Amino acid sequence: MLSLSALVWLLLTVILYAGARMLYRRYPRTWLSPLIVAPLLLIVLLLVTGSSYKEYNSLSHWLSAMLGPATIAFALPIYEYRGVIRRHWLSLSAGVLAGMITAVLSTVILSRLFGLPVLIERSLAVRSISTPFALAAAPELGGQADLAAIFVVITGLGGMIIGELLLLRFNVRSALARGAMFGAGAHAVGTVTAHRRDPEEGVISSLTMIIAGILMLLTSPWLAGFF
Amino acid sequence: MSHGFRSAGFRSALKVLAQILLLVLVWWLVSSLSSILPQLPPTVLGIALLLALLGLRVLPTDWLAAGAGFLLREMLLFFIPVVVAVVQYLDLLRSNLPAVLTVILLSTLCVMLVTAWVVDFTWKLEARWRRDEEC
Repeated sequence: MLSLSALVWLLLTVILYAGARMLYRRYPRTWLSPLIVAPLLLIVLLLVTGSSYKEYNSLSHWLSAMLGPATIAFALPIYEYRGVIRRHWLSLSAGVLAGMITAVLSTVILSRLFGLPVLIERSLAVRSISTPFALAAAPELGGQADLAAIFVVITGLGGMIIGELLLLRFNVRSALARGAMFGAGAHAVGTVTAHRRDPEEGVISSLTMIIAGILMLLTSPWLAGFF
Repeated sequence: MSHGFRSAGFRSALKVLAQILLLVLVWWLVSSLSSILPQLPPTVLGIALLLALLGLRVLPTDWLAAGAGFLLREMLLFFIPVVVAVVQYLDLLRSNLPAVLTVILLSTLCVMLVTAWVVDFTWKLEARWRRDEEC
């Protein structure tokens, strides 16, 4: 079922993204990221025109479908930087492990402190990892996949901003630590940010993200029984 | 604009497109594989498969570089519909939103601080061990 409005929404998404990207290139401020500006405008347009998300997504979902091929494209930079991985496997594993334990523990403690419903707590716990992993891990942990997807994206946006602020405030010496920080804290959005800062940082970030995703997915059934 | 320039641009656009199609094909392959073996997520499978093909030199890096580079550069575009999905949950999130946002931001801050500190620390240890080995 191909409707004209669905096609308009898809084109609008691409055009607004291209425009936001040009704006960002001119004024590189984190809050002007295309991932903030374009969706914000689209949400306003949806609310103003009274259109449903279903209508918006009937063709635009092909864009999110490209996240799969885009994520496996990280294989190429990983392959090209395999020397870095061989040299620093210990630091990377230590960072991923510490990051994931911190993510789950701090989420559960903070959620209970704020009295959030269990469903939200469980969906929040998987949010530090990239969408395809989080969607698979959320039900295992007793959360909900689409809620988790939103939290993943908010985490990505927040982590992108927090990461840049942290790097302004603290002196993180190694590209290794900077990349791992973005990958563990803000998954693919952080990886894109890290990649723009420095290709090596981007590779480390994507690697951290992938290892963290696999680790979370493999341990989530066990973690569910733990809390 | 000369004809030669235009056809060179056209050729490189075709190359990017063909390489993206190759990645889509691999993704489709591993997704159908992981519907048979649900314990293996397609992302892991896809990256492992591509790494194996690149490592064994079955697949030259030139066959992927342009398409993979394009997808990685424009990745934020693919996240936009996922962000717009928030519009469906405005009512559900409204009551819990301040708490949810606080949890996400504080927890992400903790994760980033701990990860950066641990990796920086082990990185220094690694460097020291390497020096000791050389001595």
